Amino acid sequence: MEILDKLVNVALIAATLRTTAPILLVALGGSFTTKAGIFNIGLEGQMLAGAFFAVLGSIWTGSALLGVACGVAAALAFALVFAVLVVSFRANEVVVGLALNILAGGMTISLMKAIFGTRGSIVGQGIVGLPKVQLPGARDLLGSWASLISGFTPMVYVAFIAVPLLVLFYNRTRLGLYIRVVGEKPEAAEALGISITRVRYTASLLCGLLAGLAGAHLSLGYITMFTENMSSGRGFMAVAILIFSNGDPLKVLAGCLLFGFADAFSLRLQTFGYPSYLVLTVPYVVALTALFALSYRARPRIIMETLASMQKLLSVDKNPGPDGKHPS
Amino acid sequence: MNDRLRAVSGQIIAVAVALLMGAIIILMVGESPVRVFMTLLRGAFGDQAKIAGTLLQTTPILICGVAACVGLRGGMFNVGIEGQLFLGGFAAAWVGFAFPLPAGIHMLAALALAIVAGAAWVAIPAYFRARYNTNEVVSTILSNYVAVLLTSYFTIFLFKRPGGWSETPPILPTAYLPGIFDFSRLNGGLVIGLVLAIGAALVFRYTSWGYGVTMVGSAPKFAEYGGVNVKRQGFLVLLLSGAVGGLAGGVETLGVHHRFMEGFAPGFGFDGLIAALLANGSPVATIFTALFFGALRNGSLLLEVDTGASREIITVIQALIILSVSAQVLVRRRGDSQAGERRWKF
Repeated sequence: MEILDKLVNVALIAATLRTTAPILLVALGGSFTTKAGIFNIGLEGQMLAGAFFAVLGSIWTGSALLGVACGVAAALAFALVFAVLVVSFRANEVVVGLALNILAGGMTISLMKAIFGTRGSIVGQGIVGLPKVQLPGARDLLGSWASLISGFTPMVYVAFIAVPLLVLFYNRTRLGLYIRVVGEKPEAAEALGISITRVRYTASLLCGLLAGLAGAHLSLGYITMFTENMSSGRGFMAVAILIFSNGDPLKVLAGCLLFGFADAFSLRLQTFGYPSYLVLTVPYVVALTALFALSYRARPRIIMETLASMQKLLSVDKNPGPDGKHPS
Repeated sequence: MNDRLRAVSGQIIAVAVALLMGAIIILMVGESPVRVFMTLLRGAFGDQAKIAGTLLQTTPILICGVAACVGLRGGMFNVGIEGQLFLGGFAAAWVGFAFPLPAGIHMLAALALAIVAGAAWVAIPAYFRARYNTNEVVSTILSNYVAVLLTSYFTIFLFKRPGGWSETPPILPTAYLPGIFDFSRLNGGLVIGLVLAIGAALVFRYTSWGYGVTMVGSAPKFAEYGGVNVKRQGFLVLLLSGAVGGLAGGVETLGVHHRFMEGFAPGFGFDGLIAALLANGSPVATIFTALFFGALRNGSLLLEVDTGASREIITVIQALIILSVSAQVLVRRRGDSQAGERRWKF
């Protein structure tokens, strides 16, 4: 029990929230493209580009905020290329996404070598990290639980606040509705006169925005450094989450919390002396298990939906139509 | 024939566009594109040893490319070749150092286990793809990370060579793939790759099974009405693709390194996939695209010595090639793919 106490405590929950933030941001970004009917495997690359250029911007300008802006701009550029190729040229989404990921990996390493003359990582060099936000009064109000709501870097708050905002966005705004229509029934969108191209471009760019923030959080948040391929598959985990959550913000949040917990827990296990290589596989294994388990569970739903639609057809057959004639 | 000519010329124009964009990026990095390209060329084909080195790099890319072709033909994106390569490599090395067997049989046993390991590693994603339509791109990508970490764990915690850093004990010479020249580590793996590529092309062209697979990939509805068991075929295609990926790893450890090392073959799986995509899924064309990427890779070694550019610049060029091929910016006929579903075909 003592070990369990050491493993699971307030610090672990706080760590979970911290590790959830980047994957939540990138997954919420991907929810735009998922809802708009684009399979975006390029999240990983957008995030990596965001992380690198955030560090670069922070060094050049000496300001963390402008660094974040640079990171977002880079991710937006990747998202724009993705949109141009996928939406306008109708290239294959998977091919373009994978190629952009590879491009991001190669480009960041090449630029790192060209600008800093080093391989591996950028540490120090005057990188300005994001400050931690101490909410006033949190400590008086909650005591030792204060670390659950206070003392995070700004992106953590942005990530969690974005969830309800996205729910509102999809249900209460015109653009959110358009994105959903374009994803679910492009024919209907076309008939309504909605420009599918424009909506998909918008969704891709919104996705790039959040992916850039996620990348900036990686390199300017809790650790202020950039390392080769530092997104280490988080973008792909986000895609896994998007597949089984169908891009619904609340389900995305649930999935991301699961991964954040797996991440934080595996870090914790590492300090207990378990072999790091095995411990590091935990988040990926969790992602794979969730993906497989939920696709297994989705099977009855598909059958039920088929049955329901068949019943509907049959009942239409039995009832005479509104004008009194039998439809068949 | 006219169609094929247009397809090839389209690919070549796309590569040229990509090289042009690559030149711009090289300028941005502060190097001279001419110098970089000349260095790449010299590093790839400068002398006898360099050419052998290029062929040595080509071998795993070619085998991985065939693995990707098998998947692409059947409409499956096996992005997990990298992971299958690592597990296959480890499996072959394990047989190689742990079980003393007579020469010849030893090598075959090691390669066989590599094949089994690759197929086994892709079996779960393949099963869920075939049965429940779970996206195979994501599941195979994620399993790559697990495979790399797992083989590192095996190497460092279970089978570390005493006194070594992150490598297994050396493989017994009875399991070595025979070499071709004595001045290079080039080995029989290249022959295996060529045989596989041509064999795959023949299977796709002349057997009914190959035809069924191609139909499942390009027109699944048609294949189903034609009596092909689409789900089973999809499962088998991914399994076969994984098996070839595992073989690539085995060839690499038995032929080149003679032991399994952590990070022994970085990126060969992805290079193979890119080569297959550039070849439009044709195994024979993959021979040439693999040679192209092998040359880039071998040339990039000299790049790091002779110029200030990093060797990852070739990764950038490869990605640009795939992007520009996928868009076919210059030769696309308008309305060509505006209607209908998107496929991996460009």
